[in-house]
Amino acid sequence: MEMLDRYLQAVRRHLPWLRQDDIIAELRANLEAQLEDKEAELGRKLTNAEMEVWLKQLGSPIQVAARYQPQQYLIGPALFPIYRFVLRLALGWCAVIFCIAKTVEIVSKGQGIDALAGVIFQLPWILFINAAVVTLIFAILQRSGAQIPEKFAQGAAMGNDWPHAPAAARDVWADGQKKPKSYAQAVAEVIFGWILLVWMLLVPHYPYLLMGPGVIILKVAPYQLAPVWWTFYWCIVVIAAVELAWRIIDLLQERWQEPHTAQHLVKSLLGLIPLLVVLAAPGRVLTVLKNPADNAHAAALAQINHWLYRGFEIVAAIVVLQLLWTVGQISVEAYRKRLAAAR
Amino acid sequence: MTLAENLFENLRLELRRGCLTLAVLAQLKEEHYGYTLRKALASRGMEIDENTLYPLLRRLEAQGLLTSEWREEDKRNKRFYRLSTDGQEIFARLLKEWNDINTAITNLL
Repeated sequence: MEMLDRYLQAVRRHLPWLRQDDIIAELRANLEAQLEDKEAELGRKLTNAEMEVWLKQLGSPIQVAARYQPQQYLIGPALFPIYRFVLRLALGWCAVIFCIAKTVEIVSKGQGIDALAGVIFQLPWILFINAAVVTLIFAILQRSGAQIPEKFAQGAAMGNDWPHAPAAARDVWADGQKKPKSYAQAVAEVIFGWILLVWMLLVPHYPYLLMGPGVIILKVAPYQLAPVWWTFYWCIVVIAAVELAWRIIDLLQERWQEPHTAQHLVKSLLGLIPLLVVLAAPGRVLTVLKNPADNAHAAALAQINHWLYRGFEIVAAIVVLQLLWTVGQISVEAYRKRLAAAR
Repeated sequence: MTLAENLFENLRLELRRGCLTLAVLAQLKEEHYGYTLRKALASRGMEIDENTLYPLLRRLEAQGLLTSEWREEDKRNKRFYRLSTDGQEIFARLLKEWNDINTAITNLL
């Protein structure tokens, strides 16, 4: 019995601590009954060697205890296909963006073969970090899903189980309305929203991420962007962050398939803010001379500012028209629903 | 173990996994504690390793398919399991599913 006690103590160490007393008591009762049967068959007590063989047959304490743990996945079967899809996309785009950015850097700085070799060695690490980040995000999603399994099961099924979508949902599509967003799409939007935000935050430090080889023109040109562009930039960043936060909240609250009329309207309105910021630039000046005393380029600067400003006026007009169109659509839809409810 | 044997073993385990639950539920129409349940199943040709059976009982109980109580028997405290009301209903549905699969497979062979 002493050997069995030690075996059970070893199992206990690897059990979930809240349930270990209960599990050990039950395991002890079962194993002792089994041992009694063995001894009754033999007509004697088991020798230490026989006891050792029997306990070995039962399995190592870690293995025995592991069976009592809830099934644990880093990324479970429901989420894995989406994970694989997003990982492929993220790795592919990461490799493309990295290669383009590095090529531009090498060409613009006139670096040689050493820099190219450095890129080749860097790429696997970049991809590895990218894969680790995507995996971490999905592991968090899996973990939060495991804590609310009934909601998670519904969510995961929506992505994978489309042929069995409720008839009501199919009817909506058949009516020509927009197909509801799948779980995979919603997750991909969050991940790409996050990548976009990081990219935007990196642009001021690495302008070639935005302009590619065109960054050389910025360096040699006698003009530079006016300070209003910083306000414009931060407006865009805040809007991207708000949109990402919305998407994450929708995902966590399982509302990614619900129509977000108000959200859509607010997004359109927010989109106007950076345009208004540019249009309100003092003196309609969007670019300035690097050297204010450079009279040779003053005339060209005035032309650039004029056409840039005119361009922004046109864009703002298009956005306002789009906004009015959206408000009109929402109003018509609300009116239609009110009529339908009245009948 | 060769690749083919390994594949067969995996498929066999997969096939058995669902059957084990059905067998346990079937046997627990009568009350049993872990070891006697294992013996009862073995005596009817369904051998189950203790490391599979005992955790399975706890999972089925956590899922509400079994109820259990600690009771003294032969001067030893034991945990006795039996089918719960929900377990009886699920078992009946699983049994029908099992019979349908059996019929379908028989028809295919």
